[in-house]
Amino acid sequence: MSQLAASPRPWLVGLREAIPLLGGYVPVAVSFGLISVQAGFSPWEAVAVSTLIYAGASQFLFVGMVAGGAPLWLVIAMTLLINLRHVVYGPNLAPWLTASRWWPWLMHGLTDQVFALAHHRLPQLPEAQRLGWFTGAALLAWASWIAGTALGAVAGNWLMARWPLLGEIMPFALPALFLVLVVPRFTSWRWSLALGSSILVALLCTLAGYTNLGIPFAAACGALCFYLVKADTARAGGDDE
Amino acid sequence: MSNALWLAVLASATGTLLLRLVPLLWMRRRLRQHDGENGSEALPQWLGILGPLMIAALFGVSLVPRHPDALSWLATLIGVATTLITWRFTRSLGWPIAAGVAAFGAVVILAGLV
Repeated sequence: MSQLAASPRPWLVGLREAIPLLGGYVPVAVSFGLISVQAGFSPWEAVAVSTLIYAGASQFLFVGMVAGGAPLWLVIAMTLLINLRHVVYGPNLAPWLTASRWWPWLMHGLTDQVFALAHHRLPQLPEAQRLGWFTGAALLAWASWIAGTALGAVAGNWLMARWPLLGEIMPFALPALFLVLVVPRFTSWRWSLALGSSILVALLCTLAGYTNLGIPFAAACGALCFYLVKADTARAGGDDE
Repeated sequence: MSNALWLAVLASATGTLLLRLVPLLWMRRRLRQHDGENGSEALPQWLGILGPLMIAALFGVSLVPRHPDALSWLATLIGVATTLITWRFTRSLGWPIAAGVAAFGAVVILAGLV
């Protein structure tokens, strides 16, 4: 981005560019805080879960299973199973990470949304600005998640009654963000088919109630399309891009 | 929370961090072994393809409205179209999102008034 050349503080740029994430994070975090308190957790405990685990869907599952009396080993196993999709995020960012020792610690903040944003932005940034940019973006996202949880745990009921539409409208920031990040990737028929099929399969999986399984499954279906198109064009002797 | 529950929180937190961290360390080691190559070239092709496809899948998942009725789908459709059109003209990150949320919100609010 052109603004970067004029900005001496990359963390501030990261902070600013992560602001759209708040639209999706805060309402969901408020819901999590509210649900945690209703499930018998104290506000401090809800905040501790958000601070330490920091993985949206699995936190809801964690609290729900604990409230339902599930064995703790099963709670841990299911939490990690839901978060298993995160294993492909780090390697995809690795080519653009610098030699700093801070990176491994910053991986605590590598959520779905931060990954999507960083995957788009890190390659565009000069090396010297990447650590600062990621720190700013990841810390804002983490802080908003923790603050949203605290707000939900303390005043969730009041908030939902006072502004019922806010929780319905603001989460649209997430699909809008993902759309802006994914649209520049539609560079050829091959990519369009792979990305389109991923989107469609993920949407159908969510409608069928398999949201978390749907993400890696949809990506795998998209990859299959990507390779099938290559195989087809290679047989026809054409260019695949 | 009981001590056992705190332990469960810590185990889940540590496990989640390791899921994010260990693959990164593996990839950094691989990149060091391919010293001299362009970073993105050292990335296995299947892994490089999965990155954008995961983002596409996240988009697909996030498209489903919280209450998937006809009105929510219409608002989603208009929000997506507005985001796309704004992106087409601005090629920026912030404005298309703001415009998309505004359009989505306008449909939801207007439908509530009717």
